[in-house]
Amino acid sequence: MPDLSPQVILRLGAHSEKEYIEKTIQYFDGVIVGANLLEATPGATASLVFKLYGKGKRPYFIDPMTYAFGAYEDPSSGEMRTDLDWIKSEQKVRGGKKGETKRDFKSSYRKLSIAFGTPFSEALERAVAVNESDLSTERAVDGACKSVLDYQETRLQRVFREDKEAAPFADDLPSPAVLFAPYFYIEKTHAEELIRLNHALGLSSTRQSKKIPVHIVLCANRGLLTDARLSNRVIGNLKDCTPAGVWLWFSRFDEHLASKDELTAMRWWVEQLAPSMAVFNMHGSFFSLALSKVGMSGIAHGVGYGEQKNVVPVIGQSTPTVQYYVRSLHTKYSVPIIERSFSALGIETSDDFLSKVCDCLVCREIIGPNLNAFAQFGEIHYSTPISKRAAQTPAAAKRCRFHYLLNRFKEREYVRNASLADIAKGCDSVADEWSKTLVSGEIAHLKRWAKVLKSS
Amino acid sequence: MTKSQNTGTRFSRESQLLDPVARFAKLKGFCLQTAELPFYEYRIDLYGFSSERNVTIAVELKLADWRRALDQAMLYQLCSDLVYIAMPEKSAKKVNMTELRDNRVGLIAVLESGACSCVIKALEHDEVRECYRSAQIDFLKDNASA
Repeated sequence: MPDLSPQVILRLGAHSEKEYIEKTIQYFDGVIVGANLLEATPGATASLVFKLYGKGKRPYFIDPMTYAFGAYEDPSSGEMRTDLDWIKSEQKVRGGKKGETKRDFKSSYRKLSIAFGTPFSEALERAVAVNESDLSTERAVDGACKSVLDYQETRLQRVFREDKEAAPFADDLPSPAVLFAPYFYIEKTHAEELIRLNHALGLSSTRQSKKIPVHIVLCANRGLLTDARLSNRVIGNLKDCTPAGVWLWFSRFDEHLASKDELTAMRWWVEQLAPSMAVFNMHGSFFSLALSKVGMSGIAHGVGYGEQKNVVPVIGQSTPTVQYYVRSLHTKYSVPIIERSFSALGIETSDDFLSKVCDCLVCREIIGPNLNAFAQFGEIHYSTPISKRAAQTPAAAKRCRFHYLLNRFKEREYVRNASLADIAKGCDSVADEWSKTLVSGEIAHLKRWAKVLKSS
Repeated sequence: MTKSQNTGTRFSRESQLLDPVARFAKLKGFCLQTAELPFYEYRIDLYGFSSERNVTIAVELKLADWRRALDQAMLYQLCSDLVYIAMPEKSAKKVNMTELRDNRVGLIAVLESGACSCVIKALEHDEVRECYRSAQIDFLKDNASA
């Protein structure tokens, strides 16, 4: 059972998040960018990566997002759809009537499909997802893998070369730390075929890339995690591909809400794979970080949490409030819930807060000598004169995000230096301590984590 | 306040509890009132102020889930001197009174007739933060109906 020093990779979800990454990258181990974002803003993304690399030689990763061209589960009905509708948006009709729109593919995915070529571009042309029959020959699989691997390896340099001012620096841009094999979401109704397809893509990719290590993304429905038969099959396939690493992504698997069985399964997956390859959780939280004690190499997540991700995002939800992360509880809560817990925890002064909850730079600066200033993490306002609902101010959201990132760094350091038994014991004891507060109904994950981490 | 459910009473939506409870609070002297007052990402179903007594009241309306109501009521103690849960009479009978009393949260039963009965009197407590309380009073003074 390898005990690893876990890495934390930050995922850039949008360019509005770049400030967080720029200011905190020194504490983390790299940055991952979705290829759709790269296509939407090639210049800005390439410049950011270049800047981050210059700052501390932090590696970068490009997630090719190939699953977006496959079949997907409609989040509202649960049904499988092959119409690729989730990568479409309402778009203005050029030359059309005022306000006229049509539903069409987002330009970032359209550009990506062209860059990847067949079968991705064909899927968009026919508006039907890539399926197994599109990749039924070795030639087709090899071609798809080659273009997706080449894209990751060369895209940023090409962006620089296409720009007069940036062109002289193109050769200074490093290659990505790893290349991801193309991957598709393994949904339960066609699990067998999709496992087969992903296996073929993994095999071809590892065979093709010699210079840069190839990693495989296992993107699957949550049910696969605890399906013994399919789990064994996938693990066998992964080992057969001999990649340098695997990134696990079980859609809708939230470590805070997961059952003990699911968490146990996650640990089992890591223990099975870690002797053969590096294992990352593509969207993980503290629990996965703690699994570094049994072989997890690292986790990735966004700057405003993003510690779990559904393959298809639910559209139309209002912007969620960025809540306050409590490091000892390894999760986030609304500001008034924390504040209402002060009395039960014996927190009467800002010094009490700094010693019992958090003493990160952000908290020190915001709270200072005035405990009431904690409220600034939850400040709300009406963003426009006609807003019906008050929402968190951008400044408050920013405080919460920076506080979270600093705390994630502290968590990583803690995990690096603690034993598995200490981590489990810590989860147990902090759950007891906070059980007398208003968060008592939302700390059950700690007891479950402790049980799973303790089990041998 | 939008959920609809069968409670075995004439009340199927929390919003139906608002008018009876608002009238009741007014009778008790909380003349300055507003519904759905924002408090962080929450909305206090009814918030009132008695200028005569210089006391504020927050009321959480719930059809059945008293435990959830209690959690929210306890949050509202940060900004209000007195905090109540208001429920249809039938649901109010199922509430754990000890838990409410221990937390100094009051309980109002809304009868089928629309009248209200104070089952447990809310008590003042140490959780209130003056900064929140005064901000809510200011908001009431600027916006509320008297």
